[in-house]
Amino acid sequence: MQPVIDIDGLSVTLTSGARGFTLEIPALRVAPGERVAFTGPSGTGKTLLLELLGLLRAPGAGRYLAALRDGAQTDLGALWKTRRGRAQIPPLRGRLFGFVPQTGGLLPFLDVRGNIALSQRISARPDAELIEALIGRLGLGPVARLHPDRLSIGQRQRVSIARALAHRPRFVIADEPTAALDPENAAEAMALLFGAADETGTAVVVSSHDLELLDSFALTRYRLGLIPDTDPDRVTSQLAPLEASASRPAATAGPAP
Amino acid sequence: MKLLVELSLRDLLRDWVYLLCNVAVLAGVIVPLLVLFGVRNGVYDALLGRLLSDPATLQIDTSGNNAFTEADLVELRGWPEVQFATLKTRSLFDYVNVREVGGRGKQEAIIAPSGTGDPMIAPLPALNAGEVVLSAALAQQLGVAAGAEVQLFTQAPERPRQLMLPARVAAVLPPERITGRVVMGDIAMLDLIEAFYDEYALPDHGITAGKPLASRNATFEGIRAYARDLESLGPLQDRIERRFAIATQADTAEVASVLGLGRNLGLALALTAGVAATGLAAALVFGFWGEVARKRRMIANLGLLGLPPRLISLFPVVQALVTALIGLAVSFGLYHLAAGAAERLFDTGLTDRGGLVTISGTEAMAIALAVLVFVTAAALVAARSAMRTDPATILREQS
Repeated sequence: MQPVIDIDGLSVTLTSGARGFTLEIPALRVAPGERVAFTGPSGTGKTLLLELLGLLRAPGAGRYLAALRDGAQTDLGALWKTRRGRAQIPPLRGRLFGFVPQTGGLLPFLDVRGNIALSQRISARPDAELIEALIGRLGLGPVARLHPDRLSIGQRQRVSIARALAHRPRFVIADEPTAALDPENAAEAMALLFGAADETGTAVVVSSHDLELLDSFALTRYRLGLIPDTDPDRVTSQLAPLEASASRPAATAGPAP
Repeated sequence: MKLLVELSLRDLLRDWVYLLCNVAVLAGVIVPLLVLFGVRNGVYDALLGRLLSDPATLQIDTSGNNAFTEADLVELRGWPEVQFATLKTRSLFDYVNVREVGGRGKQEAIIAPSGTGDPMIAPLPALNAGEVVLSAALAQQLGVAAGAEVQLFTQAPERPRQLMLPARVAAVLPPERITGRVVMGDIAMLDLIEAFYDEYALPDHGITAGKPLASRNATFEGIRAYARDLESLGPLQDRIERRFAIATQADTAEVASVLGLGRNLGLALALTAGVAATGLAAALVFGFWGEVARKRRMIANLGLLGLPPRLISLFPVVQALVTALIGLAVSFGLYHLAAGAAERLFDTGLTDRGGLVTISGTEAMAIALAVLVFVTAAALVAARSAMRTDPATILREQS
């Protein structure tokens, strides 16, 4: 099966004065509908990795290919190199990805239904049935007409999940999506994310510190860790596959028993 | 674009307190300036109106004996500053007797040259041969009105016969236009009277004795010209005096004084508006910029979801434009109330435009356009800030 994300030797370096931080991704392939988890200690570049994947930061070197819904493969890394390519990035990001931030990703002046519909409107993929299905699937029916300031944190995260999936992206990027939730709500939110993604055939990449929670799901796991660098002023972090707890897409949607 | 406008407006309405603050800031500066501008217009219009109500304000009259020809008049009429010009005959022969045909009474009157286009006889469109215009006093004393047939007659010491000129009254001037008994006719009529006094034969009028008219060299004692507008009066007077090396009389000093007052009022208003606009610009620039900074995560969110930066930059601009439109509506509403209060307070009816405080529709449109441009310009800093908001903020800065 053609991977939805195909990365080889991708890296990016951030500098601040004489000091530098390099993130290296030797290889990363994500199949359609696959669940992937990134873990690692603080300071190893988990958010930077998600920024790279989500077309929010230009890579330095390496190859970053993505498969579009029509089967065509596009070189996302090359887009950053030309003015015309960079102009294509925002709408492509909107169509290709859905994002579930830790908190605060909703527009305060739209109600729940309006927030979920926003990703469809921006990517010009209207689908009222899917919105209603997601509202039902994520238990948002009773609060569909409320604005975010009337919702609990858990409800807001479920709205974020629905919005991230509403426009049928190929790929959902969830950055610590359950960090602000209590363990019970965290497990429920994560299960809803994976379950709803399964129904739309969307691959999911999650970064999290919550290893216990991740252990309860069938995921392809990668770990970010610091590796020795010849330059004493530079810190290098590298993404490496972890012994998989399970592998998608054969796994079940809910928490592991 | 439609989505962006909708999102901007929804956000603006949700933050109605901030909208109210910005509208109040706009109105707080615009309303006093509108009232000042309106007062400046009203007072200036009143002064100009008083001047322009008397056509003689634009008049330039020669004094003393000079020698002008028809060619001089043609040249003068060709100047762009000239609205109307006529030659004048010698003032010695300015008096005629006037009576209604078939009437019994006669009145002595001054005869003055006029013609088609003369502002003194406005709104009469033309003055044809054989037509005269009478001052109100003369018409009243003769008991005639427009359309009456009159006779102008005059007598010279050396002439055995009177010169009798029939004429039709084309119009009677309003009382405030000219005081006293005055009859105005074409320069040809006055020239005929002068020829009569100069003892020329006028066989067409039954006067056969005298010098042959063909031997007469027609020269004129003076000219009377009208400037096209108040601004042209001073320059035209200078030009006439330089061109013909003569002295002239005109209300130039008074006109210059009013025009100078208008300019100074305009300058004072411009300075006030400039200072106010600087303060307003600072308030709006930092206000709009602050709004974008406050909503940085929300704006970053739009970028994260796929809206291009150029479109996102319009987010604060749309809000600024709507704020400006509401601010203008409120400002003109408050101005209207203030102008009405001023009218009642001062009980004025000074100008044709309405009163003490006046702003025309064109001026209002220009002010509205200027405010919209100004506010849009003030929003550009915020637009740039919005455009540069990094969508990754949503992931990087967890709240």
